[in-house]
Amino acid sequence: MGARRVAVTGIGIISALGINLDEFYRSLAAARSGVQRLPEEVTLGSGVQVGALVAWDPAVHFKGPEAGSLDRVAQFALTAAGQALAASGLDPATADRNRLGVYWGTGMGGAHTLEGAYKSVYGKNDFRLRPLSVVMAMSNAAGSNVAVKWGLRGPFANFSTACSSSAMAIGEAMHAILAGRADAMIAGGSEALLVPGMLAAWQALRTLSPADAGDAAASCKPFDKRRGGLVLGEGAAALVLEEESHARARGATIHAFLTGYGNTCDAAHMSKPDRDGQVRAMTQALAESGLRPDAIGYINAHGTATIVGDAVECEAIRAVFGNSETPVSSTKSMHGHLLGGAGALELAAALMPFKEGVIPPTANLEQPDPACAVRHVARVAQRGVIPRAVMSNSFAFGGSNVVLIAERP
Amino acid sequence: MQTFDRIKELAIKELSLDPGKLDPNAPLADLGVDSLTFIEFMFKIEDEFGVKVSDEDLRNIKCLADLERHVAASLQSAGKA
Repeated sequence: MGARRVAVTGIGIISALGINLDEFYRSLAAARSGVQRLPEEVTLGSGVQVGALVAWDPAVHFKGPEAGSLDRVAQFALTAAGQALAASGLDPATADRNRLGVYWGTGMGGAHTLEGAYKSVYGKNDFRLRPLSVVMAMSNAAGSNVAVKWGLRGPFANFSTACSSSAMAIGEAMHAILAGRADAMIAGGSEALLVPGMLAAWQALRTLSPADAGDAAASCKPFDKRRGGLVLGEGAAALVLEEESHARARGATIHAFLTGYGNTCDAAHMSKPDRDGQVRAMTQALAESGLRPDAIGYINAHGTATIVGDAVECEAIRAVFGNSETPVSSTKSMHGHLLGGAGALELAAALMPFKEGVIPPTANLEQPDPACAVRHVARVAQRGVIPRAVMSNSFAFGGSNVVLIAERP
Repeated sequence: MQTFDRIKELAIKELSLDPGKLDPNAPLADLGVDSLTFIEFMFKIEDEFGVKVSDEDLRNIKCLADLERHVAASLQSAGKA
């Protein structure tokens, strides 16, 4: 018997680019942006102009009063997890549910619930809050709801490391399977914090891009000389990760193998990106996968479109890959920055070439910044390429760096 | 609408109870209503009728008939019924 391997057997997506994997991939292939001018009721006085909002009607996805007891971030999680399970064909009802687990990631948890509570307390001097406020707002609610819904009684964890949360959830879930603690895991993350208070806090960081003067959808410009900061998004991505023999025994379709996970901390600064920490994370992931850098045929960069962040990441990529021709893109240009959900959504984007032979582009990249000298896939998807392996980078406030490597089946 | 009809309507909507099997004297726990759901339901009852359900009241309300009695008494003492 060979070593255990972790297969990806199902993916579910909630994003501004569509609320299933096919729509998501179609939008990425067409370089269609989901960024828009945010409505006044979302921004209020925060000054934030654009975001990647999900077109979401809870009544379509939840019956009766169910949606009312779930924060938007948990609604996204449950819907994405349901899609991933359905796509994988794994039926928890007929599996050993003690061997199925959930590792989830979210940065802010139930931000809508918290915002509503503060609005009532400070805005109306009304301290009579809904009894469900705590269990809706708590950070682990999204993942816990997934476990409860399908009775998944194996390992559970919630990761909250800002922008690397869901990448970490996936990497740790991979290790839980490799360690023999689970047959399969639902791993991913969700974020839903486009509410006025949270937007005001982000605006105060002076890191958000204003609306592009000509086209709000083109506001996020990673690696471009004209880049003006990140654009916040919302949504979720869930992956079913499964031990290879378990997946093969039930005839599941294997989309990819997850083979490398790097996890390091800059331990230097709360927000300033650090080349060394990123290099160590990429190197660690490569070492675990046993691959040389030239085996990586696509890098889905963290690429938030901040001045410093993009330049440092490209430096780190060059340090690991040399002056290679490895294609790099940042799909945040289209789906926005999902923060805690970003790593999972972007791993799904990174796997797109395996399924479609299409490498998604960095939209709006017209004037590459010399400080970001890597081989860009700019504006238009690269077609007809099925790389052997892909890498997805997630670098977070707090100095957390997570890198995932997946290989084609 | 009578008090009980309003409670019943809210229970069907918020607790997803089957209208055909809704026995006013059945313990709510037997109808599948857990403690957290029950507390959230009381919150909505307070909104609906403009009454207060204290912690002590909560302990004494075991079924929808108990709830109806409590709401009716509260409304009466507040002069609303």
